[in-house]
Amino acid sequence: MTQNTLDTRITEPSATADETEMLLFCLERARAQFAWKVGGLDADALRRPFPPSAMTLGGLVKHLALVEEMKMAEFVDGEHLTEPWRQEHFQADPEWDWHSAASDTPEELYALWQRAVARSRAGWAAALARGGLDQPSLFTTDSGWSPNLRRVLVDLIDEYCRHTGHADLFREAVDGLVGEDPPQAS
Amino acid sequence: MSVIDEQGRPEPPVAADEVTTLLGFLDFHRATLRWKTADLDTAGLTARLAPTDMTLGGLLKHVAWVEDEWFGARLHDEPTDEPWEVADWDADRDWEWTSAGADSPQELRALWEGAVERSRVRTERALADGGLDTLARRPSSDGTTPSLRWILVHMIEEYARHNGHADLLRQSVDGLVGE
Repeated sequence: MTQNTLDTRITEPSATADETEMLLFCLERARAQFAWKVGGLDADALRRPFPPSAMTLGGLVKHLALVEEMKMAEFVDGEHLTEPWRQEHFQADPEWDWHSAASDTPEELYALWQRAVARSRAGWAAALARGGLDQPSLFTTDSGWSPNLRRVLVDLIDEYCRHTGHADLFREAVDGLVGEDPPQAS
Repeated sequence: MSVIDEQGRPEPPVAADEVTTLLGFLDFHRATLRWKTADLDTAGLTARLAPTDMTLGGLLKHVAWVEDEWFGARLHDEPTDEPWEVADWDADRDWEWTSAGADSPQELRALWEGAVERSRVRTERALADGGLDTLARRPSSDGTTPSLRWILVHMIEEYARHNGHADLLRQSVDGLVGE
């Protein structure tokens, strides 16, 4: 496995999967589908524009890395964001994640995403072990509402799937790769 | 008691139980597809965005088929709805995608909205029967029988991914964007 090959393995849930097992499986599958469509690409492919969209495949990788980390920081474990997610970057450009991806190498982008996934995986496991999906998240709106962890987790799955839809079309344009699920070793 | 957003979509609930949350996300995505295909004529619904063969009209017809397949055929083992029963799938495995080009916008919208309404009734029935653990009455080709829980989550994922396709297709038609 080269450095830029991402993990696309999908492990099926048990036949009697409860809600938590089902949703965590769905999150892993969503990550694997995303990884399949954005993985193993060179800098040109990751930077390639697809007008009229402003998105790129590299931008998708960096954006999802940020999404994983922000969900952790804002909703799940409260740990502050670390490098490269500096506040001053986003004050200068609210879409810094999308725009700065073009300056990163493929290795840097993939490593950033994998690190975010590793942090997120550990954080979700710990949070759910404490008290399940009904727990209120750390975030409270101005009107006093707290999304529960169920809402936050389904949001995360949702965002992956929507962006994989974008990646589906971009990847097809890059090298013709199509399909719903990454091939699995038998 | 859901909040309706600027596009007329019911937002998913913030702090609800499993059933309410899953149904909320599914309805939000149905409303998103409605928004992304709204106000388009045949030209808009058949517009192509290279290199994909997908069109917004094809998406509506495909998702209508997905709704009927999962909630009707698989969940309740009901007879195949029209027009899927008379379609010549042997001649064209992608029939619902390719035949959409000949349907009027009104026909496509009615077909999809009808399928959504059927799905809602079928979901309510299954929930009343046995909740989210209710198993599909018709097994998959590999012999497994998914639960209603699995079906609802799968539908959310499929809608979300197709709305990603719709995002790009719609943007290329008239510049409409938004999450």
